[in-house]
Amino acid sequence: MNAGSAVSIAASVREGRATAVDSVQQALQCIAATDGQVNAFTSVLAERALKRAQAVDASPRRQRMKLAGVPFAVKNLFDIAALPTLAGSKIERDTAPAARDAVLVRRLEAEGGVLVGALNMDEYAYGFSTENTHYGATRNPHDLARISGGSSGGSAAAVAAGQVPLTLGSDTNGSIRVPASLCGTFGLKPTFGRLPRTGTYPFSASLDHLGPFTRSAADLALAYDLMQGPDTQDPACAQRDIEPVSPLLERGAAGLRVAVLGGWFREMALAEALAATDAVAQALGTSRLVELPEVARARAAAFIVTAGEGGALHLDDLRKRANDFDPMTRDRFLANALVPAAWVVQAQRVRHWFARRVARVFETVDVLIAPATPCTAPPIGTEWLEINGQRLPARASMGLLTQPISCIGLPVVTVPLWGMNPAAPQLPIGVQLIAAPWREDHCLRVAAALEAMGLCSAPVAPLAAGA
Amino acid sequence: MDHTAYIDAAAATLGLTLTQDQRKGVTLYFGLAASMAALVQGLPLEPADESGNVFVPVAPQVHP
Repeated sequence: MNAGSAVSIAASVREGRATAVDSVQQALQCIAATDGQVNAFTSVLAERALKRAQAVDASPRRQRMKLAGVPFAVKNLFDIAALPTLAGSKIERDTAPAARDAVLVRRLEAEGGVLVGALNMDEYAYGFSTENTHYGATRNPHDLARISGGSSGGSAAAVAAGQVPLTLGSDTNGSIRVPASLCGTFGLKPTFGRLPRTGTYPFSASLDHLGPFTRSAADLALAYDLMQGPDTQDPACAQRDIEPVSPLLERGAAGLRVAVLGGWFREMALAEALAATDAVAQALGTSRLVELPEVARARAAAFIVTAGEGGALHLDDLRKRANDFDPMTRDRFLANALVPAAWVVQAQRVRHWFARRVARVFETVDVLIAPATPCTAPPIGTEWLEINGQRLPARASMGLLTQPISCIGLPVVTVPLWGMNPAAPQLPIGVQLIAAPWREDHCLRVAAALEAMGLCSAPVAPLAAGA
Repeated sequence: MDHTAYIDAAAATLGLTLTQDQRKGVTLYFGLAASMAALVQGLPLEPADESGNVFVPVAPQVHP
C-alpha cells in the first residue's frame, strides 16, 4: 500500500529525498498487489508512466514542480493519448485512439504528476454503483462485498485502496460525491464551468463537472489549484482567473457561517447519514437549519436534463447496436431517447428558477452541510432500499442527496466520517460541504478544519497484498 | 398513465426498433421519466423565467 499524500510525495521528489521513478514503481506494485481484489483499473500504463517519471527526475524544473513524481489515475472517460476513450463502454473500444491527453491530465503532468492508468466506471457515467457488466464491478476497498459507488467508482476505490494518492473523476448528478462517500475519500466537485472538460467523454453537457479524489483536504486543494484556468474548447468553461485555494486552508472555518440543510436532505437520509451530518454540525458549532425550496422538483429537473441530453447523445448507437450497451444502462438510454423536448426545456427553466432561490440563501450563509449519500455502501447487487418509508431502487437512490446540488452547479467537498453505522462500523459515509458558486475556498477550508479536528479522515483500506 | 402509444410512435419517428426484451425496461424507465417530468411541469413559471441553458457565442481565435 502507498499511504503517502500527494503533498508529501511531491516534497520528497522536489527535495531529492526520493525519485519520481521510485514513487511510480511503488504505485505500480501496489496496483499489481491489490487490484485483483478491487478492480479499480481498466488500464495500467507502466511503460508510459516510468518514461514520464524518468523525465520528471531529469527535468531542470523538478525542484519547482508542485506535483513532482505524484502518481495519479483518471476515470476512463478522460482522453489518454493512444488509447480509445472507453467511458465504461464496449462500444467505444472500436473508436480511434485519442490523439492527445485530456486538458486536466496535461495540466497535472505539466507540474510533474505521472499518469499511471485509467479507471473503471459505470457505462457512459450512467449509474451510481460501478457494477459494470463489461469490465466487472469495482469493489469497495473497505468491504469487498459492497459497491464502491459510481459512476467514478474506480477513482474513489483506487484512492481508498492506497494505489495512488490522487485520481480524477466526473460528476453529473453525484458521480464524484457518491463514490467518495461510500469509499471514504475526500472528493471535490467544483463549480459548474470551473474546470475545462476538454478531452473527456460527455454524459450531459449541461451538468457535467470534473474533479479530484484524494485522502486529504490539502491534496484536494493542491490538485484543484493546478487544474484551474479557462480553456476555450469547452464552451461551458468560465473565463475566470486562477484563484488558488491552498494558501487559504490554514484559515480553517473561522468566520464562515455554516448551516445544516433540512427538509429533503434529512427526510431522504438513513440514521448513519444523519449521524455523520450532525457530527459535522456539532464540530463546527452550528445548530442552524436551512431549507431550500422545491428540492424534489430540482432533482427531477436534473433527472430530465440528463435523460434528454444523454439519450440524444447515444441515439445513433441505440439505433444501430442497442444490445452492445451494458444491460445496466441500455433500457434507460432507450427510454431517455424518447423524452420530449418540452420536458427538457421546462427542466432547464426549473433549474434556473431553483438557482436563483438558492442564491438568496447564500446571502446569509457560507457553507451548507448535508449527507452525501442516504446510507453507507450497500452490498453489490442490492436492488431496493427503504428510505423515508418508501421502497426505492437502491442504485438510483444513491444520488438523491447530490442531484439537487449539482443541478445548479454549486461547489461541494465530500468529507469522510467513520463508525456512523453501528451495524457496519468499518464503513465510511460522506458529508457534503456546499458553498456558493465560485467559493470552492469556503468548502475546502471547512474540510481542512474538520480534518485537523480529527473528525474526518481517509485511511487506506487494509487489503491483503496479492490476495 | 399508459405511455405505450407515445413510446411506439416516438421510437418509430426516431428510427429506434424496440425488441420485446427491451420494451419492458423502456416502458418502466419512460414511466419514471414521466413522473419526474410531472414534478418539473408542476412548478408555475412565467414566460420571463428564462432557460438555464444559455448559448455562448464562439469568437474566432486570433493568431498574431
